[in-house]
Amino acid sequence: MRKAQKKVKPSTFVLFAVTVILAFLFLYPVFFALMSAFKSNGDILKSPISFPKSLYIQNFKDLFAQSDFMTAIIHSLFLTVVSEVLIVFIVPMAAYGIERRQSRATALTYTYFLAGMMIPFHLYMFPLFKEMKMLHLFGNMAGPIVSYIAGSIAFGTLLYCSFLKGIPLEIEEAAMIDGCTPFQTFWKVTFPLLGPCTGSMVILNGLGIWNDYLMPYLVLPSGKAKTITVEIAGFVGQYTARWDIVFAGTVISIVPALIIFCMFQKYFVKGITAGAAKG
Amino acid sequence: MNSTNKAAKKKKFDKTAFAFIAPAFLLFTLFIIVPTVSSVYYSFTSWDGISPNVKFIGLANYKEIFTSDRFGNAMKNTIILTVFISIFENSIALALALIVDNVRWGKNFFRSAFYIPVLISGIVSGFIWKIMYNYNFGTFNAVLDNLGLEAWKQDWLGNSALTLIMIGVVLIWKGAGYYMIIYLASLQSVSQDLIEAAQIDGASPWQRFKSITVPLISGAFTINFTLSLINGLKVFDQINVMTDGGPGFTSETLVYLLYKVGFNEGRQGFGTAVGIMLLFIIIVLNTIQQKFLRSREVQM
Repeated sequence: MRKAQKKVKPSTFVLFAVTVILAFLFLYPVFFALMSAFKSNGDILKSPISFPKSLYIQNFKDLFAQSDFMTAIIHSLFLTVVSEVLIVFIVPMAAYGIERRQSRATALTYTYFLAGMMIPFHLYMFPLFKEMKMLHLFGNMAGPIVSYIAGSIAFGTLLYCSFLKGIPLEIEEAAMIDGCTPFQTFWKVTFPLLGPCTGSMVILNGLGIWNDYLMPYLVLPSGKAKTITVEIAGFVGQYTARWDIVFAGTVISIVPALIIFCMFQKYFVKGITAGAAKG
Repeated sequence: MNSTNKAAKKKKFDKTAFAFIAPAFLLFTLFIIVPTVSSVYYSFTSWDGISPNVKFIGLANYKEIFTSDRFGNAMKNTIILTVFISIFENSIALALALIVDNVRWGKNFFRSAFYIPVLISGIVSGFIWKIMYNYNFGTFNAVLDNLGLEAWKQDWLGNSALTLIMIGVVLIWKGAGYYMIIYLASLQSVSQDLIEAAQIDGASPWQRFKSITVPLISGAFTINFTLSLINGLKVFDQINVMTDGGPGFTSETLVYLLYKVGFNEGRQGFGTAVGIMLLFIIIVLNTIQQKFLRSREVQM
């Protein structure tokens, strides 16, 4: 039986029109950056709201010729990927230890981690840098990486612990009976079931690391290219007359995040809502 | 105390749990807790950040905090920016969530469209808007020109009466999509049966919103409001790229003051004391949030 086509009310169209306008306003700054990246500097200045006349890629050529942007891209990728790999190794194990081995000590550890969520990075950055210098982690990639891992533990533990509650113990018990050590049980049996949770954590953390500014700016050695974000911030002061180059840089920073978002949308949504529900 | 309880307490040290948790515990302690605790100590010193000898000066930094005009100004700016962001970010995010929930076509597309600004880094978003705000070559003034509203043209970031608000607009644009997702999730958890029942009973859309939706999403509201207040307190990148705290000190917030005195003026002892104040404010806000959430749970 087919339902008779319901008549669409006029208010439906009004709401749709309002939504389209709002979406345009929200996306406009992103369009603006994308368009400007393909316009000559003269065109950006003369007509900021017009479309590019042709596919003009001189800005990107200049960007790579006049700065060491390639190194910055490699650094950003390196920091994001290496931190994420280590985070995925360390954080779910900790959550597993807390959630599956409940005792007073693990409960205290959980509270201890969560309390860390309140501490703003800006508060402890000066002593942190001093400590990094003592441990020879300052002025190289290791410093930001250990700090990113430490910074991901609170939110990650929260996410994994709430997810682990929904995973039945029977499977793990069966693996244990078959002679798996707790370590094997976790990595071979439980961890694969945590896929969606891992996806959410990797994506939300990865975005934070990719976009981070202050840490690489202050910790990585000066005199060389640092990360994409740091280079762009540097351009703003340095190339005050060459916006075209800076816009080319912003596109290189935005596009990977956009692609990841389009591919893994549901993980963004799941991570944010799970974090808010417990946070 | 009964015997099982005693047994649980006497249970020998859990080696497995220790092995699983130790790496995270170690890194967390070493790179968050140790520097946090030492920052409490440094806040009582005149440490410059470089020299190895750190001089203990008692409460002098805190005395300066409570008496200096610069801290007072930064506090005022922080409150204005944070409150402005939180109010508008939440109203807009809730409106967007309601719109996305009710729009007939393209739900997923619109949800993504509103979320996309969240993906952009603070530095990049600051740069894009800085150019759009530009007096001679920016989008805002170009649009006003085209509309024949030349009189409204502004030096948007240079006019000290507007600077903080203009920075706030960027942050609201960048943040609203995040809170929208949380509101949307809680809107979608509102049971459809409840709404239909009210519809049958003749409740108008506004009555349904007021009496069913609002109470059910109030938890999300408390969480979002606290989150946006705390995130507002931590804003750094946009200020750095757009105004560097200026013109004068009009956009210098607590975090920016902390950064400037610490790195440009070699007064990291004072900077950490400012950081301690920041932590104090965050703890207070979190406590209030917990109280709110708990009091409502009792009602329900």
